[in-house]
Amino acid sequence: MQRIDLMDILRRTVSDDYGDLVTRRTGQAVRQAIEQELAEDADGQPAAIDFGTVRLLDLSCADEIVGRLLREQGGERPFVLLNVTESQRDAIAFVLERYRLAVVVQEAGGELNVVGEVPEDARRVFGVLVEAGMADPETIAQRLDLSPEAARDALESLRERRLVVASAGTYRAPVV
Amino acid sequence: MTRVVDVPSHFDDRSFEQFVEAFATGAGDRVLFDAHATQWASPFGLVGLLAAGQAQAERQRERPLLTLPADRDVAHYWARAGFFRYATEYFELHGKVPRVAASGESEVLLEVTPVRVADDVHGVVDRIQQRAAAILSRELGLEAQATMGFAMALSEACQNIVEHAGTGGWVAVQTYNWRRTLKRRVVVIAVADAGIGFRRSLEATQAKRYGDRWSDATALEAALVQGVSRFRDPGRGQGLAGIRRYLGRWSGKLGVRSGTARFNLVPPWDDDVPLTQGLPDFPGSQVLMIIPAQDGGEAGHAAH
Repeated sequence: MQRIDLMDILRRTVSDDYGDLVTRRTGQAVRQAIEQELAEDADGQPAAIDFGTVRLLDLSCADEIVGRLLREQGGERPFVLLNVTESQRDAIAFVLERYRLAVVVQEAGGELNVVGEVPEDARRVFGVLVEAGMADPETIAQRLDLSPEAARDALESLRERRLVVASAGTYRAPVV
Repeated sequence: MTRVVDVPSHFDDRSFEQFVEAFATGAGDRVLFDAHATQWASPFGLVGLLAAGQAQAERQRERPLLTLPADRDVAHYWARAGFFRYATEYFELHGKVPRVAASGESEVLLEVTPVRVADDVHGVVDRIQQRAAAILSRELGLEAQATMGFAMALSEACQNIVEHAGTGGWVAVQTYNWRRTLKRRVVVIAVADAGIGFRRSLEATQAKRYGDRWSDATALEAALVQGVSRFRDPGRGQGLAGIRRYLGRWSGKLGVRSGTARFNLVPPWDDDVPLTQGLPDFPGSQVLMIIPAQDGGEAGHAAH
């Protein structure tokens, strides 16, 4: 999995002095740098974007760095956002809901969640999948008292949105 | 000939209308802004006065006159709030400008600060986080997430100048006890510019849709209620929507004045009206955000 450190990109492309991801201009510069790094790895592997020591993420930067990136590249590979704080998650959710998009987020405490617009049943399926680590539709169906078809449909819908990955009939979150 | 525009004795967002009425009447004369009797000015008053000076200086190609407050304490406060640092660029000052050290006062969270380019927004956000987080948490009982949201709202409001005003503007942030309708401490963000305003900024993309109804009021409604922007990118126009959501969550007030109209997001504790039209014309945009102390803050129920 390709790991991209946002603070490193911010310092490299915009300024050493900044610790916040604010303004549209900064967001555009950071997104373009992310796209360049992703272009070097064109095999569609999941990409992890680490918010690490970034303090503030405003809506303009959330829109450029997450919203626009997912709009343009979300179909090509899964993305996971790492070390996201509560306020950063709030800004990301706000912009993704506008586009009806969603992304997997690993919060600063390590918890994995889907942030953005996802049907409630798919969100529950994702939660069970994260608990199990890896599961097939039958296991998910048993845990959530769903029919196997409903569990499979929910997992496939998550996979199509690049929120889970599938291999040999089992599914898992695209974690690091 | 010189025309006198009185700066109200208590100069805030409400008395700003009285100020604008005098300012908008008559053109072509040199203006004397008379603040000698001013007893108090909110951050909104101070940044609004700078915007008036900028507009007048650009209109007349000659700096207007400004008589300083006669009350020594008031003039000192204006100096500590950073007003005179930028006033000399737009006014010919009459009266002795107090010499003060940089503000160490806890109530001035951000002195009057110019916003012209994106770098200025980074500076504002950096300073407010260094200086204000502890105060917002201790005095206003705002949780960590709310203080980050506060910095986000500040960033988005300042970016409106950079992205849309077509000129520079100012921002100031302060805490004080809200005397009018709320017996609590509040934090106030005031942002003002004398640029093109919402109507002109949105005209190319929105005016046709509104037809005869197109005005300052409908432009504010389009931006603040429908989240439209002059940019066709669907990601644009989220800043003001985000500010509204943040203020709604913390029972805050948002007031945006542009041209001849003012839009307010009115919290339960305030008695303002949601939309006012037909106001005297004033250039650019002026934004006011007020966040009250939450239960649990030291000043959650401060006296007048």
